[in-house]
Amino acid sequence: MILEAPSLLMKSVLFNLKPLTQIIVIPGLAFILLFAIIVVWFERKLLARAMLRVGPYYCGGRSGVLQLIADFLKLFLKEIVIPQDAHRVLFVSTPIILPTIPALAITLIPFDLDWVLFRAGGLSLPMFFAIAGFSPLIPVFAGWAANNKYTIIGSLRTAFLYISAEIPLVICASAVAIMAGSFDLGRIVESQSTIWFAIPQFIGFIIFFLGLIIEAERTPFDIPTAEVELVLGWRTEFSGILFGFTMMAEYVSFLAWALLFITLYLGGYNGPNILGLPLYSHIFWMLFKLAVLVPIVILIRGVFPRLRMDQLLRLGWYYLMPLSILNLFITLALKLGGIF
Amino acid sequence: MSEPQIEPEIIRISWGPQHPMSGQTRILIDVDGEVVHRLIADLGFTHRGIEKILENRTLLQGLIPIERMAMVDTANIGLGYVLAVEEALGIEPPERANWIRSMICEICRINSHLYAFGLQVESTGYFPAVFLWTTVDREVLLDLLERLTGARWSYNFIIPGGVMNDLPEGFQDKVREAVNYLRGRFRQYWEAMVENAVFEMRCVGVAVLRKEDAIRLGATGPVLRGSGVDMDVRKDEPYAAYGDLDFKVITQPDGDAMARLKVRFHEIEQSLNIIEQVANEIPGGPVRVKIPLFPRPKPGEFLSRVETARGELGIHMFTDGGMNPYRVKINSPSLRNMYVFERLAELNRILVADIPVVINSIDPWYLDCDR
Amino acid sequence: MVEALKEAHPELVEDARVLRPRRVSILAKREHLLRLAEILRDEYGFIHPISAGAVDYPKEERIQVIYYLTNPSKRFILTLRVNLPRDEPKIPSMTRVWDAMNFHERETMEMFGIVFEGHPNPVHLLLPPDWRGGYPLRKDFKGEGVKV
Repeated sequence: MILEAPSLLMKSVLFNLKPLTQIIVIPGLAFILLFAIIVVWFERKLLARAMLRVGPYYCGGRSGVLQLIADFLKLFLKEIVIPQDAHRVLFVSTPIILPTIPALAITLIPFDLDWVLFRAGGLSLPMFFAIAGFSPLIPVFAGWAANNKYTIIGSLRTAFLYISAEIPLVICASAVAIMAGSFDLGRIVESQSTIWFAIPQFIGFIIFFLGLIIEAERTPFDIPTAEVELVLGWRTEFSGILFGFTMMAEYVSFLAWALLFITLYLGGYNGPNILGLPLYSHIFWMLFKLAVLVPIVILIRGVFPRLRMDQLLRLGWYYLMPLSILNLFITLALKLGGIF
Repeated sequence: MSEPQIEPEIIRISWGPQHPMSGQTRILIDVDGEVVHRLIADLGFTHRGIEKILENRTLLQGLIPIERMAMVDTANIGLGYVLAVEEALGIEPPERANWIRSMICEICRINSHLYAFGLQVESTGYFPAVFLWTTVDREVLLDLLERLTGARWSYNFIIPGGVMNDLPEGFQDKVREAVNYLRGRFRQYWEAMVENAVFEMRCVGVAVLRKEDAIRLGATGPVLRGSGVDMDVRKDEPYAAYGDLDFKVITQPDGDAMARLKVRFHEIEQSLNIIEQVANEIPGGPVRVKIPLFPRPKPGEFLSRVETARGELGIHMFTDGGMNPYRVKINSPSLRNMYVFERLAELNRILVADIPVVINSIDPWYLDCDR
Repeated sequence: MVEALKEAHPELVEDARVLRPRRVSILAKREHLLRLAEILRDEYGFIHPISAGAVDYPKEERIQVIYYLTNPSKRFILTLRVNLPRDEPKIPSMTRVWDAMNFHERETMEMFGIVFEGHPNPVHLLLPPDWRGGYPLRKDFKGEGVKV
């Protein structure tokens, strides 16, 4: 009786305060912040290896795990410099709004059939794209508000980048929805319990992987913030914690798209039940897949230069777009042929 | 520099001198969207008046300011000055000194090319992995120089009449070891960079400089040879020990950013061969002849030419019988290549994203431009 | 080549000699400089410009402007010189013959105060745009700075 108390308490917390747990623990604030901190640390360590360095070294033991917290504190305490000619309201508000958009999108991702923060049912996949579709607008506003030549060029690049990536992504996602017979993310995951959609939709899988890197603005597609020519693109004028927010937004957006990628193609939370309670096991598999995907995306940053804008547009419109339509037709043929 | 007028609908970006990639110069870029209309180089941020300083120094004192012209390439520039001084004084360095000079110059050339190579790779947006690799590998060469000269930079080792010291004990073995290590590393560079698909996309066909244009615009060094002209002072007018050494002049026909990179790459291989040859076949004998501390040159004019890592350097020294030179004119290679860079936007369609790649493939050393 | 040039165009060349192997010096008459430059480029193949500079001789009241040229097939250095009076240093710009003399002429202009007529962009190259301190490489420049 006494021994069972903690686990009972745990269960009651989990199930009675479910929305609160979801908001605070997973997939809520703690998860997103921890993800950003761990991934940035991991990225710095991993890429330092590629550069024959050791990476963060002094903060938090020899591994430097606390470096990110120190950096965050430093950014927080720094002065926020607002350029004289900037649009003050937009300039201050855009970086704060920026990470909330992908964070909102994350609420749609199912970690279990019942463990969804925001139940949108059959609308959840379109809703994800609707919410995420806002995110390119914010850099455009931010670049315009800062009133600087670098930021304006950077924000225009952002707009081009997202348009060329998002349309193939939507087409690929609708192919998945056709295959699953539903726009509900939960149903899509459930229909992958036998076979992951990465296998029948291999073209879509590749396109979505590239699109994920483009949407997260990571090398080789980090064209809007190209450091060597545009200083930091649309982020050039941000300082202090505003800059910290834009950096965080990059990782939150990466997280949102990675979770959607796992949900659509890598079987979502499906996996052998190894932790007893299916809920724990599902969350574990979700995190496990994320932990496999993230280093791959990070390593790509270590081995590829950045593409040029015209090369990216050619990639988007000449290759990704026709291929995603081809993928859609293949899916239709499979569906009508009755194979799936 | 006063800024020329711009047309409407064109944004003028000031690229540098406070910029992550620009170095100590400012480049005004007129862009229409992403396409570059015009490039204007604004030099002079590191103008120190070395030509004037040299007029107020004796011939031997002049060694010190002249080597500050391009720190990464000290020996080659120092050698250019020393050759002019030796001609003015009418002295001949001993044979062994000439071989040692060639070796130091080639070590410097590798140093400089590695730096240029790393910067060009980084300017494509490669996460700075390769730039740091080249920095680490330059360390091997800097250690060699430290062992030989006692300093890692600006060692003033080449002096009129020879070199400062003979090779230290066991130096040849160290050289062979370093050469073998670097050869292994360069194979990795080739695979990681030149054969990397995205890197190829960024460099092939970018900023093409045709052969006629390269000659007409006065390009020099790897820029000229990357356009298929086999001009190299080391072959045309052998100085130091280059007449006795066996090496090839590298040319590439394409004239784009990749061709210039490949020229540098193969030149590093040739330099490694030269260093190995020197280590194996260096003749014996003294390494310097005595010269007076305050030598009086004969009146006249003396024009020396050397091939530095960035191209042909000419030192034109006028003397009037006094202890100081009357005037020293430095024909700097980087300034010539900077003009080529300014004109490249007219000859090609260059995008904003290409600017760092182009300028680092030209590889100007701004201290050398400004003097 | 030196003899041939002297014979073919005696009215343009004041003096032409070989200083030492691979160094040729030609002193042009001031009024015919442009014509001589075109002849050197078109007939003698000096299409590869290297640099331009000047030397100040205050005792003889002249400034000598020097153009360094080379021929990509013969590879020796030709110095084309012209003497200018110190009080009126004016010559036509060589940029219409050799495009790449642009930067070098700008440098010579700011350092010696030589006026290159017809230069496409006659502004300072290395010195600041508002430099009023005289001409640094002339012999009478003492580097004392400017009175403000």
